[in-house]
Amino acid sequence: MQNRVICFLFFLQSAEAEKIQKTDKQQVCESIYKEGEQLENYTKYKLKSSDELTSLLADKDNLFIIACNKCFKEFETTDEPDCGEFEKIVADQGKTVTGSAKVDFLCNKIQTEKKLQDMIPEGTENVFVISCGLGIQTVADLAGKPVYAASNSLNYTGHHGMALTKKSCDACAQCYLNITGGVCPIVDCSKSLVNGQCGGAKNGKCEVDSNKDCAWEKIYKRLEKQGRLEEFLNQPVQMRDYSKVNFKVINDYVKSIRENRLDGYYGGVHPSERKEFSEHLPLERFPDPETVVIPLSMHAGAPANPVVQVGDTVKVGQKIGEAAAFISSPIHSSVSGTVTAIEMHGHATRGECMSVVIKSDGKNTLHESVKPHKDLDSLTPEEIVDIVREAGIVGMGGAGFPTSVKLKPPKPIDTILLNGCECEPLLTADHRVMLEFADDVIFGLKAIIKTVGAEKGLIVIEDNKPDAIELMQAKTADISEIDVVVAKTKYPQGAEKMLIKRVMGRQVPRGGLPADVGCVVSNISTTKAISDAIRKGMPLVERVVTVTGERLKKPGNYIVKIGTNTKDLIDYCGGVTGDDITIKAGGPMMGFVLSDVNVPIMKGSNGIIVVDTDHTVEQPCIKCGRCVDVCPMELSPLYFAKYADEQKWQEMKDMNVMDCVECRSCEYICSSKIPLVSKIKAGKNAVRGMK
Amino acid sequence: MLITQLKAKETIASLIDGKKVFVINCHGCKEVHFPEKEAVELQKELEAAGKLTGAITTDYICNPDNMKLRLEKHMSEIEAADVVLVLSCGVGVQTIAEYLEEKKVCAACDTYPMPGFQGVTPLEYNCDQCGECYLNLTGGICPITACSKSLVNGQCGGSKNGKCEVDSNMECGWERIYRRLKQLGRLDVLKCPTQIRNYATDEEVSK
Repeated sequence: MQNRVICFLFFLQSAEAEKIQKTDKQQVCESIYKEGEQLENYTKYKLKSSDELTSLLADKDNLFIIACNKCFKEFETTDEPDCGEFEKIVADQGKTVTGSAKVDFLCNKIQTEKKLQDMIPEGTENVFVISCGLGIQTVADLAGKPVYAASNSLNYTGHHGMALTKKSCDACAQCYLNITGGVCPIVDCSKSLVNGQCGGAKNGKCEVDSNKDCAWEKIYKRLEKQGRLEEFLNQPVQMRDYSKVNFKVINDYVKSIRENRLDGYYGGVHPSERKEFSEHLPLERFPDPETVVIPLSMHAGAPANPVVQVGDTVKVGQKIGEAAAFISSPIHSSVSGTVTAIEMHGHATRGECMSVVIKSDGKNTLHESVKPHKDLDSLTPEEIVDIVREAGIVGMGGAGFPTSVKLKPPKPIDTILLNGCECEPLLTADHRVMLEFADDVIFGLKAIIKTVGAEKGLIVIEDNKPDAIELMQAKTADISEIDVVVAKTKYPQGAEKMLIKRVMGRQVPRGGLPADVGCVVSNISTTKAISDAIRKGMPLVERVVTVTGERLKKPGNYIVKIGTNTKDLIDYCGGVTGDDITIKAGGPMMGFVLSDVNVPIMKGSNGIIVVDTDHTVEQPCIKCGRCVDVCPMELSPLYFAKYADEQKWQEMKDMNVMDCVECRSCEYICSSKIPLVSKIKAGKNAVRGMK
Repeated sequence: MLITQLKAKETIASLIDGKKVFVINCHGCKEVHFPEKEAVELQKELEAAGKLTGAITTDYICNPDNMKLRLEKHMSEIEAADVVLVLSCGVGVQTIAEYLEEKKVCAACDTYPMPGFQGVTPLEYNCDQCGECYLNLTGGICPITACSKSLVNGQCGGSKNGKCEVDSNMECGWERIYRRLKQLGRLDVLKCPTQIRNYATDEEVSK
């Protein structure tokens, strides 16, 4: 800030020099949008002058060139001109270039470090970097060779807003906006006066720059409009604190948030949890529905084939659909009653699906097949796999992969990770299951350990559920093969690849499965279902569902029969408030929007949420780089949006779109509100079709 | 992308002055910093006192188009309020103040400077955007940000045991530069002519 004062004096002395500088920069900062729109190009560097570069190059040869693809500008996939310009200067000097590379977000040390491996060929003596100072320092730290800057950073003091509008903030640490009607005197007044106008303005224009409105006149007008002149004039004189902030303070701060954010695995986000609506509410059994609609597809793989007919009488736990393939699952009735129809019916994730409609007789008579199996010690692994398959157990976290297939991994397994993270905001179903069915969950884990022959079972719980951690620790204290791991809350920790990385430090290979690194990950509710299947002989016919959200009247956690209508569930919870609402099956991050709530609860329905509709429109990407910063799979989501719009599917495939776990972190953080996940899904579909 | 901190309780109380309040939280830069806990507390207190006409949590209010779309359905709550209290950086407050020109819009946060990190997701390095990169003369360590005094021609002589005299927890930037150059076998660059920093390039572009 002292610089600013000096700068100002200097400015008065050398207006001519300043003018030249300004023209230079204005070219770079040229508005990339047509008049009326406010998006500006804040590209942060510019190639040094050719004279300076020529003398810099004089005694250097065998050069490798690294150029950063720039940020905070309209995102184009065409090459930036700087690298070509520099290469031309180098060629004019007759220098040998060992190679060049163009990198996104060069300042992202973790990603740049990976990219730099094997990038710089043998024989390179000097590395030239075209980037802002951040990128140059990153490379200088990592390259192990002399690194030179071929560019100068440009200063856009005050442009901190993510939207690249013309609003500025000088971060003075003493916000004056409250006394100035929201017009900033530091940036809008040429002299940064904080106690009123200098008196030099003519016809409302600044005396320093006659194209500029006098900020203090703007402030006066706005306050007059709001009737706040009195209040302003009574303000005591403001004294500005010019004390300089030590770079180290900032650096330490940044380092600490960096470490915090990257703890366990790269990327991730921290959306507001809002679990307080329902985390304290004990499980309640949802009243028996009169009719259930049970879809034949509630799992990954082939839909089940119905084995009942209209008019048949069925009982609770009776098989009504047979697995149709290896990757498939049987379906069971959740009520006793009569099959009234087998027809297409609305489905939360597939639009429509063949479903068995059963009218309940209200008696809940158990089917003869529902009886306890042998105790765990006498069951063989094969028998457990059969029980799990016949009970129709699939991953209840949403993906619906048949658990019996997971229990026969192709590779040796040493560790079972029980996923108690429940990192989705709002949802509390697994949390309540851990609290109220701790013994069942532990039994289920023991069964999985036995089935796959693992050495260890780890129950991983995020630190926002201290009661569950305490209970599980107490319950497993004397079980040698089971431990509780407390993980710092971060979304999407519950995604299996992230969980394995966080807990085991192992990296599941690209396109690989947890079994490739000796792990099996199981969901809490699924594990409880395994226990029910063994101990009670009860197939998967009910599950715990969190019904919540700021627009639902009475949130709660319910034990719900599969096939119960979602609308009944919402009505039972007092209905919704207001009309501009969004209902999702699942959590706010990975859930599916329900345009029609006349759909059944399924094996993977961990939550129904009713939230405010968010009104935004997609805007052009500004290359802020946040999606790259948060992607836990270390991908570059901004390219997926770009390529999807241009239908460049091969390019999308080359950027590893198939690795995306659709956690929606990129879409959550996107400053332009681009619907990245739907674009990614379109890309994935197209890539699948390419094979 | 800025660090914001909630203003002192008394300051906020005097801003509100017992009037009705609508609160806007901006979570756009939350992964960098946002005083979430304190913000929630403040809103609970306002609600308990019956002073809250409404509150929204949104992101990137510095983007005027989406900000307007999101405020639209809350306009009646905003109209019912005497003060719109914005919890965001200075850019966000100004954007809202301009949109709600007739309303008293107040900043509940102070925005702290993060020199060298403007607009970028916070990463490990500092760059003061001085406009005349010195990194070629310093082995890639920035003397503007690594030295407390931003000296460009070598150490001030005040460091003790490699620590800066301004902040004894900080390593002397010039000692780091010396070590890096020595490691690279490039100590000869220290013999280059004196650098004069041109402060005129530092500013004005944004205006």
